[in-house]
Amino acid sequence: MTTLIVIDQAPYGSWAGREALDMVFSLAAFDQPASLLFTGAGVNWLRKSQDASGIGQKTVEKNLSAAPVFGVEQILAEQSACERYRLGEQDRLDGVELIPSVRDTLDRFEHIVFAG
Amino acid sequence: MSSGLSYTLVITGAPWSSQAPQTALAFAQELISAGHKIDRVFLYGEGVHLASALSTPPSDEPDWPGRWVDFLAESQTPGIACIASALRRGIVDANEQDRYELGANNLRQPYQIAGLGEWVEGNLKSDRVIYFHGSH
Repeated sequence: MTTLIVIDQAPYGSWAGREALDMVFSLAAFDQPASLLFTGAGVNWLRKSQDASGIGQKTVEKNLSAAPVFGVEQILAEQSACERYRLGEQDRLDGVELIPSVRDTLDRFEHIVFAG
Repeated sequence: MSSGLSYTLVITGAPWSSQAPQTALAFAQELISAGHKIDRVFLYGEGVHLASALSTPPSDEPDWPGRWVDFLAESQTPGIACIASALRRGIVDANEQDRYELGANNLRQPYQIAGLGEWVEGNLKSDRVIYFHGSH
């Protein structure tokens, strides 16, 4: 049973998204199927060429790029949010699948965790 | 009451800055009254502040950390604070105090510090995993 971790907050503002990502990697480390869904401002996690040095943080892009390597099944993003934040295909990390309806996607999973 | 379900409760909101611990406690008490079982309570993110032995609210205010440990003891429910979340936020037990050569430890009994593997196990073994967030 795949666990879906939903991140709906922009990166860097709080540690909640990073801690949600830790949950995904932890599931993968224990060979449990896991997928990620980015909605709303959360889609900005997927932006290429991030530079967080100005706020003294490490970019989250590296963590996310490692997700497929660690066995995370799918990285999903809300299509309308990508449009709203002007996150075109050339702006996004590779391997992201756009979903037209968050509701329909949530219905496909029995176990869903929202970033706290 | 063998027909009851087993639950893992995950608390990610801190006391006083969120209502998550209070809501989770009311839910947990109702579960036990209804004949269900709580496999574990897992504190994650800001939720680890619930396990500080040093929080000391004024005597005329509800003591959520105190009420939670009373519940854990009475119901014999394991309470676990995620190690990475806890260390970031200054919640440490004697082992971590030694490991990082810190001046004190402050993990409230009967909580234990453990990794996210405890949460993964909850996903696998409990019938339900319920989340109590601070911001959602």
